[in-house]
Amino acid sequence: MGTVDIRNVRKSYGNVEVLHGVSLHIEDGEFVALVGPSGCGKSTLLRMIAGLEDVTAGDIVIGDRVVNHVAPKDRNIAMVFQNYALYPHMNVRDNMGFALRQRRTPKPEIENRVNSAARILGLEHLLDRKPRALSGGQRQRVAMGRAIVREPNVFLFDEPLSNLDAKLRVQMRSEIKELHQRLGTTTVYVTHDQIEAMTLADRVVVMNGGVIEQQGPPLELYDNPASRFVAAFIGSPPMNFIEGTVIDASALCLDDGTKLQLPMTDLASQTRVTIGVRPEHFELSSAGWPATVSIVEPTGSETQITARIGGQIVRVLIRGRTFVRPGEVIHLTVPADFVHIFDDDGAHGIQVGTRGAKKYA
Amino acid sequence: MIQNTRDETLGRAADLATRWSFMMPSIILLLVTLAYPIFYTIDISFSTFDITTFGAGEWVGWANYEEVLNDYRFWDALKVTLVYLVIALPLQVTLGFAIAFLINAEWTGRGMVRALFIIPMVVAPVVAGGIWRMILDPLWGLMNYALQSISIGPLDWFGDPNLAMAAVIIIDTWRWTPFIVLIATAALLALPKDVFEAAKIDGANWWATLWSIALPLLIPIITATFVIRWLGAVKMFDIVLAATYGGPGKATNVLNLFIYEEAFRSLRFAESSAMAVIVLVLTMVLTGIFLYGSRKLEKRF
Repeated sequence: MGTVDIRNVRKSYGNVEVLHGVSLHIEDGEFVALVGPSGCGKSTLLRMIAGLEDVTAGDIVIGDRVVNHVAPKDRNIAMVFQNYALYPHMNVRDNMGFALRQRRTPKPEIENRVNSAARILGLEHLLDRKPRALSGGQRQRVAMGRAIVREPNVFLFDEPLSNLDAKLRVQMRSEIKELHQRLGTTTVYVTHDQIEAMTLADRVVVMNGGVIEQQGPPLELYDNPASRFVAAFIGSPPMNFIEGTVIDASALCLDDGTKLQLPMTDLASQTRVTIGVRPEHFELSSAGWPATVSIVEPTGSETQITARIGGQIVRVLIRGRTFVRPGEVIHLTVPADFVHIFDDDGAHGIQVGTRGAKKYA
Repeated sequence: MIQNTRDETLGRAADLATRWSFMMPSIILLLVTLAYPIFYTIDISFSTFDITTFGAGEWVGWANYEEVLNDYRFWDALKVTLVYLVIALPLQVTLGFAIAFLINAEWTGRGMVRALFIIPMVVAPVVAGGIWRMILDPLWGLMNYALQSISIGPLDWFGDPNLAMAAVIIIDTWRWTPFIVLIATAALLALPKDVFEAAKIDGANWWATLWSIALPLLIPIITATFVIRWLGAVKMFDIVLAATYGGPGKATNVLNLFIYEEAFRSLRFAESSAMAVIVLVLTMVLTGIFLYGSRKLEKRF
């Protein structure tokens, strides 16, 4: 069984606690992406699942066994490292078969399993090469082959694509997804790239500062970010934030005195809030929030407009083409369902007005 | 057009002059300090030695070489040197890497031990020889005192030919192993960590990690260390001079000590020059063979 259960896990280095009680349940066959900025503890958590880091407090359960004190090799996991971590002095065949050789698997079986993994990954013609004679993408594939060959209960990926160029990254991303669909092995995937997390995972876990900010299916996080941090982290280009004070339940007063009419009417007056609107949810209209255009960037399929509303910069993404020019004043409206409202508590602002979910429900 | 090419030629000449003027100081320095002594020695080795001019006298061709090669003392000294090299070098390199591997693990006091390891290297070889003479003294030396407590000895360290060689090797090892530990520690720290983590997940035990991962990754450094140490060991002189002075009899009379004796005690400069040239050529040939072999070895991994 490839379930992973993380129960209130903490990690400290000396007096510094880097994971402050993380709980996460991963179903058999699920693809879970841990995503967050560097230093959020996602890699540490992965390394603790792998057994490369001690667990300070809490339990890690793989299958039905608490593995806190089980050696990495006995956890039946396989890990793919950021820098591939191939054995430089062994050819591809030996790299992939190393784990099986350590377990004294019979030679013909090693041969079979290495060959079948090579076939899956298209590495058959490279089996006799040394890692240094391979390209980055090929090395990454060998690292994955080394993991597949062991037929583990859980795959662990530690930012496996961050050393590849943009084009290859997209290609390897689909290969990983295909591989997961084919093998159906439980996968925990660490990345700092939200697009990777969104496109690959069944469930995305957003971490920040050693805690889980929010977890859920990718689109759920996109539609209903629980906090301002998640809202800013998920989605590209990122969500716009406009800070101000609520005056009379449905209007927002910005710091420079600009008043914006809000499409909702149930806000507590005189509270500081942050309004979040995704660039793609703005609509151009004849009346609405006035914004002064500063940059227009057409890409063909869509046009990105950078504009200012009362001194605060917002990005607007318009489908198709537009004839707006820099310096012009445009008017923006947002359907009520797409306005996110966060209370004003620094980066961890909690969403108080949840509207997005209705739209897709 | 013509003007143009002339400018170009001038420019190139100026460029060449600049380059050579930058290289000149080091060229001169190398010629004076390295090339001159070597050619001086080679010159003398083919001549009689004129003590009045302290230079080459009459040209005698291979006569000096013939005399050296017919001298059984030369062959004895060569044999002593080879015995020393064959035992001391592998011992020092193995010990050096083993110690580095052990003190590379995380434990308290590691920094202290590392610092202590530097001491033998900074002690002057003659002083080291002297200290060890005292430690190994048959009558009141610390070594025999320690050995006695496990009922060995007393051993006559400088009286017995084999023990004297052992003593020289012990002192040399004490002096040079830390140097190898230092190189090996740096090499171990430079090894990629994630490869070892991958091995851990792949189920490699301590021995497999050492044998299948660490050692192959270290092969280039090990061979390089071997060559550096080999070039140093061929020059072995000071420790023998201070500890045994080649004795007892000629049991620890390494080539360099013999050459030194022949030149500055017996004043047979021409013959000792011939020997020095033989040692030089031998060293170059053996180093060449060794480098070739180690490159082959590296390719295998």
